[in-house]
Amino acid sequence: MTALRVLTVDDSRTILAMLHHTLSNAGFEVLQAEDGKQGLDLLKTQDFDVIITDINMPVMDGIEFIRHVRATGQHQSLPILILTTETSQDKRDQGKAAGGTGWIVKPFDPEKLISVIHRVVH
Amino acid sequence: MSDLDDFKATYFDECSELLTELEEQFAAIEAGERDADRLNAVFRAIHSIKGGAGAFGFSALVGFAHAYETLLDYVRDGRIEMSDDVVTLCIRANDIVADHVKAVQTGDALPADYGMDEKVRFDTLARGDAAEDDEGGEPLDEFDIEFVPVMVNFDAVADVDEDPANDAFDAPPMTAEPGHWEINFRPHQALYARANDPLLLFRELAALGEMSVRAIVGDIPPLSDFEPFAVYCSWEITLIAPALTEAMIREVFEFVDGDCDISVLQLGADLAFDIPEAAPAAAPVAEPGLSDLLALADDEVEALLDFALEAPAAAPPVAAEDPAGEAPALSFAALAETIKPSAPAVARRAPEVLKPVAPAADPDDTGARSVGVQSIRVDLDKVDRVVNMVGELVITQSMLTQQMDETLRARYTELVRGLEVLAQTTRGLQDSVMAIRAQPVKSVFSRMPRLVRELAQKTGKKIKLETIGENTEIDKTVIEQLSDPLTHMVRNSADHGIETPDKRAARGKGEIGTIRLSAEQAGGNILIIVEDDGGGINRERVLAVARDKGIVAPDVNPSDEQIDQLIFAPGFSTASEVSDISGRGVGMDVVLSNIKKIGGSVHVRSWTGKGTRMTLRLPLTLAVLDVMLVKVGDSPYVVPLSSIVETIQCSRAAFERVPSGGKVLQVRGEYVQVIDLAERFALNTETEAENRFVVLCEAEGSHKVALIVDDIIGQQQVVIKSLEENFERVDGIAGGTILGDGNVALIVDVQGLKTTLMHKTAA
Repeated sequence: MTALRVLTVDDSRTILAMLHHTLSNAGFEVLQAEDGKQGLDLLKTQDFDVIITDINMPVMDGIEFIRHVRATGQHQSLPILILTTETSQDKRDQGKAAGGTGWIVKPFDPEKLISVIHRVVH
Repeated sequence: MSDLDDFKATYFDECSELLTELEEQFAAIEAGERDADRLNAVFRAIHSIKGGAGAFGFSALVGFAHAYETLLDYVRDGRIEMSDDVVTLCIRANDIVADHVKAVQTGDALPADYGMDEKVRFDTLARGDAAEDDEGGEPLDEFDIEFVPVMVNFDAVADVDEDPANDAFDAPPMTAEPGHWEINFRPHQALYARANDPLLLFRELAALGEMSVRAIVGDIPPLSDFEPFAVYCSWEITLIAPALTEAMIREVFEFVDGDCDISVLQLGADLAFDIPEAAPAAAPVAEPGLSDLLALADDEVEALLDFALEAPAAAPPVAAEDPAGEAPALSFAALAETIKPSAPAVARRAPEVLKPVAPAADPDDTGARSVGVQSIRVDLDKVDRVVNMVGELVITQSMLTQQMDETLRARYTELVRGLEVLAQTTRGLQDSVMAIRAQPVKSVFSRMPRLVRELAQKTGKKIKLETIGENTEIDKTVIEQLSDPLTHMVRNSADHGIETPDKRAARGKGEIGTIRLSAEQAGGNILIIVEDDGGGINRERVLAVARDKGIVAPDVNPSDEQIDQLIFAPGFSTASEVSDISGRGVGMDVVLSNIKKIGGSVHVRSWTGKGTRMTLRLPLTLAVLDVMLVKVGDSPYVVPLSSIVETIQCSRAAFERVPSGGKVLQVRGEYVQVIDLAERFALNTETEAENRFVVLCEAEGSHKVALIVDDIIGQQQVVIKSLEENFERVDGIAGGTILGDGNVALIVDVQGLKTTLMHKTAA
């Protein structure tokens, strides 16, 4: 079986690096984008099994990114996980309203991250 | 260096960028530009610094950044006005954040109350705002919530495994409350719209205990009334497991809260699970099967730990395979549940276990020291400017060296030594600059597994993809240009190369075909090889098609190898039925032209019934080329050194006339086509025929071509300038270059000359 592909979108390189480390160790194939715009560009040419996105980003924030992804029509069933901090319940709700599938609380626990992904990916 | 140190290095780099950005933003804010974009950028910067700090447990930094962030959040949404006072406070706060970052980076402790005054002022400002708030006494929750940093430890699980002494089973004694739960679940349409899937939820529930699911399908209307996006189905789920709490069940449905109707009911204890006080480590009694398993738990802590950890992700419950068959109907999943408390224990324990690796959370007793590798981000244009200049430097250096004739050498020994050192240093400089642009081919290779998987599905073939050498590094530009051609080649292998399983079986091969993708460095080139163990190229058909399309003239009898290369000819397609995968035979010629654009070449070899190998030869770097400088007429030309086999004086070369009027060269029993460059480029030459030179070149494959030039000047390095960018594409010319003396020389495209030749023959 080939590796599941994850698109990680975050403007923080630290977070991207941590996600990359955790996910690739767990056998995922990880691609990175630094804002929603870059994420959309990658989605145009490549397929993913799940997206993990931050909310606060320059150029295009996570909420708008999720909206765009859902609006394209071909990614209706693509799971999107939102990276939030535990104090930002409202962001989480906004993310869900935009079409987010679930969320991951930052700073994330690697094990929890993997199990959350398995909750939304076949 | 541990991974954590790597992350920290990244984090500190990032912090320094963010702090610089904060400075820039505030310079503008101070000057009166207080628009939303700037405030958002400032907020994001502090938010990012806080986020990373949380992951590393820099609690003092987190605490301060959090308070500051809250203030910024209020400013951003207009609850607090960005007055000059606030700006001044923020600038001061930036300095404090910077000091905190520096403190954790260097390990120098800051006073415990550092930044406390400012924190109090944030607080006062925010509270002042709250007082004016219409809702009056609304407490400023954000300030009361302790943002608790969760130390992340990326090696935690592995390390616990390695340390059996670290007995995770001293976990709190379980309240072995037997549980029998009934869950009614009706998803709304929104649940599907957000890409949640009931099936996955069931899978997760199944990992919690013994589950049975009943679908309620009575609401499904007749097909004529069926609306595709409506939800008609609901489910009744029974879940049995000891120690199962409602919270655990609710957690599974965490993401779909609000997107479904759900009820969770406890039905009371099921007698089958009434295991008295079944705290795992303390119950060597109980049923025989169970006690066996529990005894195992004592011995094999690690194995079970793994099991317990994997349980939530595991597939539906495995029916009990307990050898002691008469044991109670306790499933593995249920057992996993029994031991489950160990899992959170591991998670909790992790930070302690690795404390030495992850230096303390508090800067007061921090051990964070050497940050290790540091990196900066540089605009690619800037790197390219350096690459170009280094290229010019290399050329100047080689020009200087050429100027040194014997007399000069004898007279200025110091100068000669200096030049030698210069040559060495320039080489080193060139290598270092190239290393900056180099990237592993992994980024391209990693796209292939999915492609192959999809192709296999589409074609009904069984294909395994192997990749070798994916850490081989190539110039960034080459990598970017590599993706399309490689995709096409892999497609071609999967679509045309690998046979269907029954065909393979008939040929006595395994049903599963293999495509092997490899990258390696060979001298100044990178070889990328796409190999398959399929049927090979059907040469008869290829030749027939090529003749049919006029690519090969009827009277020409190409060798097997020449036939193989025909698949790269423009407009060539062999697929008798056009496949929707590899397309209409536009493709392989596109591969060739793309690869040529980046100075590479493609060669294909095929073994009938056994497979095909396509080799891409790419330059390590695009900028500098080792060449031989030759003269044709009065003009200098350069021939890439990598393609030259040998040079021969014409007077010693064995030419033979062929009936068509052309000439061939006989080299060690092999006949090689001859191209007179003067003739080819329509130049006048006054050099006597016997004083001219043959430059024997090897084009892709073992195919040779003999170029006739007027003189050979020498060997040197040149910086390639694109003709296409500065002029237009010219057949037979791969590019231009500026020589040390300022003259322009054209780079001979050996492969291109040969292709033209073949077309000529065919026409």
